[in-house]
Amino acid sequence: MKRYLSMFLLIVLCFVAQTSIFPHLALTNIIPNLMVVLTAVSGFMHGRKFGMYSGFVCGVLVDFMYSDVIGVSLFIFVLIGYLNGVFNKLYFKDDLSIPLFAIAFSDIIYGLLYYICNFLLRGRFQILYYIKSIMIPEMIYTILTGIVLYHLIHWIEDRLYPPQDVPLGKGDKINNL
Amino acid sequence: MRKKSSKITIDPKYILAVILFFCIVLGIVSYRFSDKLTPIRSAIGTVITPMQKGVNTIGSKLSEKLDYVTTMKNTVDENKKLKQELEELSAENKLLQQDKYELENFRELYDLDEQYAGYPKVAARVVSSDGDNWYNSFIIDKGTEDGIQKNMNVMADGGLVGLVTKVNKSYAKVRSIIDDDSNVSGTLLKENENCIVSGNLQLMNEGVIEVTGIDGNAEIDDGAEVVTSQISDKYLPGILIGYLKDLQKDSSNVTQEGYLSPVVDFSGLDMVFVITEVKDSDELEEMLE
Repeated sequence: MKRYLSMFLLIVLCFVAQTSIFPHLALTNIIPNLMVVLTAVSGFMHGRKFGMYSGFVCGVLVDFMYSDVIGVSLFIFVLIGYLNGVFNKLYFKDDLSIPLFAIAFSDIIYGLLYYICNFLLRGRFQILYYIKSIMIPEMIYTILTGIVLYHLIHWIEDRLYPPQDVPLGKGDKINNL
Repeated sequence: MRKKSSKITIDPKYILAVILFFCIVLGIVSYRFSDKLTPIRSAIGTVITPMQKGVNTIGSKLSEKLDYVTTMKNTVDENKKLKQELEELSAENKLLQQDKYELENFRELYDLDEQYAGYPKVAARVVSSDGDNWYNSFIIDKGTEDGIQKNMNVMADGGLVGLVTKVNKSYAKVRSIIDDDSNVSGTLLKENENCIVSGNLQLMNEGVIEVTGIDGNAEIDDGAEVVTSQISDKYLPGILIGYLKDLQKDSSNVTQEGYLSPVVDFSGLDMVFVITEVKDSDELEEMLE
């Protein structure tokens, strides 16, 4: 429960930061997608259900604040949370490479789905242009901010659920042998 | 933690399916009956927007500081250049002032003056931008309480910025004319030809937008002024949009198309003016029906 509440607050904070601080820090007009990072990381760390929960909160914020048709980004975010939750088994705390790969992959998926839903259907066919000038730069910037966010989420997680000592039973026996 | 979560035994697959269904329903509802969801929108907006407003001031301070550091080196050179420019400009200014008297006379003839200055305006601050890289709309800090309504026109730097598309109590969403979704019908001021100005994400990064549908036989110079047209159903007539360039015949050979560089600098929008007068096209629609 604590985890759900803290993730909710973190998402709201990041949403506010993304819409009001990052436009000032845009590199070549591109801003990172913090919502994708949060959704991907929560799915990756705690499984499909938690991923979908984070995706849902992100989607509701993005859609209700900025979209005309509600539901498109909402579903994309939930799907990203779910997909990352599937790979929850690969999660190992100290390994940074796999989560970063997951974030990069999620951002590309987000870009592609968003392009298909909102641009391809209106007859904008120059997909290569959109990949080159929006999706790839956004992905790179997202990974950079993702590293920071990933550590922040770990830090919060450690505060909420301090790592406990491993029960001694088996370990003792091995030592005795 | 394990034990707790095992109590709930619904497979996440089914939750995903339910959410997909929910999203489709929500999409249809929001498309067909967009008014029904306004309470939820404004509930979320009233919580988030004040936060954005506060954080935005920090953000702009931050970027000011960053700019300050990076531009310090260039400032000395720039200063010299600017001084020179100042002299040239003040000479030019005198000439222009003479021209101005002339211009005022012309304006009276053209009746243009009345159109621009006559519109009642409200100043508003840009609070936050779209939050993703695909569209180009932003939120301003004035809403219904300040007399803003849907479909009001937004201006800055003496040119057209866009249209109010959504209004809540204390904030409003503005879709700019460079947005991929935006279409404005315009008129070439001198030649009196109609055209369509449409935003395009691909061209946006080059600082121009698309112009189509100009009569193929019209001879038009580069730099012709484009203003909003009388026949537009949402935009008030006579607001400057930008200047034409690179005009050429399109593939059908019947009309001409080209690019338009907007007067407004969209990357640095801070203050905008909302014209508190809505072009009333309801009567027109009733007539057409």
